[in-house]
Amino acid sequence: MNKEINQSLFLLGSSHQVADLAARERISLPPGSIDEFYNGLSQIEGLDEYLLLNTCNRTEIYGAVQKSFSFDSLGKYLSNFRKLEPEFLSQHSYQRNDHEVVDHLFKVTSGIDSQMVGETEILGQVKKAYEDACQRKAAGKMLNRLFQKGFQAAKWARTNTGISRGQVNLGNVLCDLARRIFGKVSNCRLLVLGAGEVAESTIEAFKSRGSQAITVSGRTFDWCPLCRNKPAELAEKFDGFTLSFDRFKDSMHLFDVILTSTASGKSLIDYRDIQKSMQKRPAQPLFLIDASVPRNIEEKVSQIENVFLYNMDDVSTIANENLKSRISEVDRCKGALARRAAKLWEQMTQAREIS
Amino acid sequence: MNFNDARDLMWIAGGLYGSAFILGFLKTFRLNWSPLNEAPLAGIIIGFLLHTRALYLRGLDIHGCPLGNTLERIQFILWSLILTFLILRLLWRLDLLGSFCAGLSFGAGWLTLTLPNTDPKYWLATDYHKLFSDPWIELHASIAIFSYGVFSLLAIVSGMYLIQRKALLSRKFDKLGSFLPPINDLEIACWRLLTVGVIFLTISILVGGMHWTRHPEFVTSIKLAVTILLWLGYSVVFLLHLTHRIYGSKFAKISIILFLLAIGSLALVNSKNRENTKQEIKPVQSTDLSL
Repeated sequence: MNKEINQSLFLLGSSHQVADLAARERISLPPGSIDEFYNGLSQIEGLDEYLLLNTCNRTEIYGAVQKSFSFDSLGKYLSNFRKLEPEFLSQHSYQRNDHEVVDHLFKVTSGIDSQMVGETEILGQVKKAYEDACQRKAAGKMLNRLFQKGFQAAKWARTNTGISRGQVNLGNVLCDLARRIFGKVSNCRLLVLGAGEVAESTIEAFKSRGSQAITVSGRTFDWCPLCRNKPAELAEKFDGFTLSFDRFKDSMHLFDVILTSTASGKSLIDYRDIQKSMQKRPAQPLFLIDASVPRNIEEKVSQIENVFLYNMDDVSTIANENLKSRISEVDRCKGALARRAAKLWEQMTQAREIS
Repeated sequence: MNFNDARDLMWIAGGLYGSAFILGFLKTFRLNWSPLNEAPLAGIIIGFLLHTRALYLRGLDIHGCPLGNTLERIQFILWSLILTFLILRLLWRLDLLGSFCAGLSFGAGWLTLTLPNTDPKYWLATDYHKLFSDPWIELHASIAIFSYGVFSLLAIVSGMYLIQRKALLSRKFDKLGSFLPPINDLEIACWRLLTVGVIFLTISILVGGMHWTRHPEFVTSIKLAVTILLWLGYSVVFLLHLTHRIYGSKFAKISIILFLLAIGSLALVNSKNRENTKQEIKPVQSTDLSL
């Protein structure tokens, strides 16, 4: 008799939906223990196929199980493995069966169950987990079908709904704005004044999109042997260039995007500076980002033709708008994915009945 | 509907452009219906083919390039606009530009078909032989009208530039703004379209000018003044942009204003013809059709 006939789907998991960061840290599996965890799963009675999805925000075990499988056995195994009290695990976890598993996976792969709605990283993580399970021969016919359909559902959701529209991370929002102004971000020449977290996040976002011409400038205290030269360190980290802070104004016309993120507390770039540099680069737009509080760029510069000035409030507003727009799409996406999940589950149960 | 009637074909082509315009915007605003993906472009292409046949049939009727009345001139400009868009579409994937072009072609095309007196049947006059007495004048008129098509596309791209600029300056990105090309690309596109338009208009003026030196009596002073002013306007803008004296929003606004003036200048030519047709249907003087 075919094993598949009596199989059903099962999921035990914990995510940001039911557990805070501290709880997730306790449940999450350390990378070095994955092999051991898989070995233990193979010993559980009635668990024919299994797959572990272990990310910073979720730990989930998907399974194709026989009737002889006991849900408690998997819970006990995870509690013992992570040395958790059973009550703690039941309080910070969820269980799903059959069509609920399909529905849940579709939501996970499409990103609507993610903390940052619509993020795309989760799809790569699920793919990696699936490949890992395949290599271990832990995933069989039923999980194969489930996950392949899950990847298709994710692609459908991203193409046909607005859940991934707009960026919500600061660096990505700035890259998106740069793309609206210049087209390819990889061709943009970026000058960063300051070497704080905002500067680093922005450089990282530009670098990840292929930008090669990244220059960092900032005030350094070379006379003090205890002071670090943070701009130089930042430039080195991202294979960028450094520019003397005293001379950056003379070179401003060479850059397409200028970000100021310093704690100088005074205006560093005024109307005349920008006017002077725009005369040297006519008909080419200039994108200025003032991420400093108090501001480093005189607001009047936005009156100059082809100059686009954004401060932190503007960028935050855009990020929040993008997030709102994604959330408004979630219900539509959920409904459509639920219909797809129900259809898939119907096909899977029909196939079982026929066989 | 008669597929051998030029006007019927123009109506259908206009309808297809209108459908492409509506479907294009529905697609832009993410209506969840996959067949919609290629429908706007398909509508524009089929519309263009029918539009081409319509102008061809009218050309057979009048024995020349169909530029004898307001309807024919407007339809030829719209045909040139769609042709230029389709050529550009091979280079850039600018579907939203197609929607704007289809919208203009639909609106202007159906308006001229609806308005009375835009399509007098001058070729039915008993003594009518052909529209253009001289093939050079026919070349002059067709190139000039084609350059109008390029300038109409320039006006559309300039409009897109201003929408994108407004979105960037106001920090409010609606769905339309998010599907527009980058502002820098739009300015480059405007510059290239202006260059192509000015080249075609200059060639047209040179060809027309050679005929004018031989037969100055065929060209009215108003027409001559309008033509020269328009050419000067576009050429000055071209030179000012080349030397970086006009760029950005000023360049976009001037391009739109110049296009409106260019369309207005067509009406000036037409008013003279209409007076002629009120008296009797007569073949139009070849040089009346030049710009």
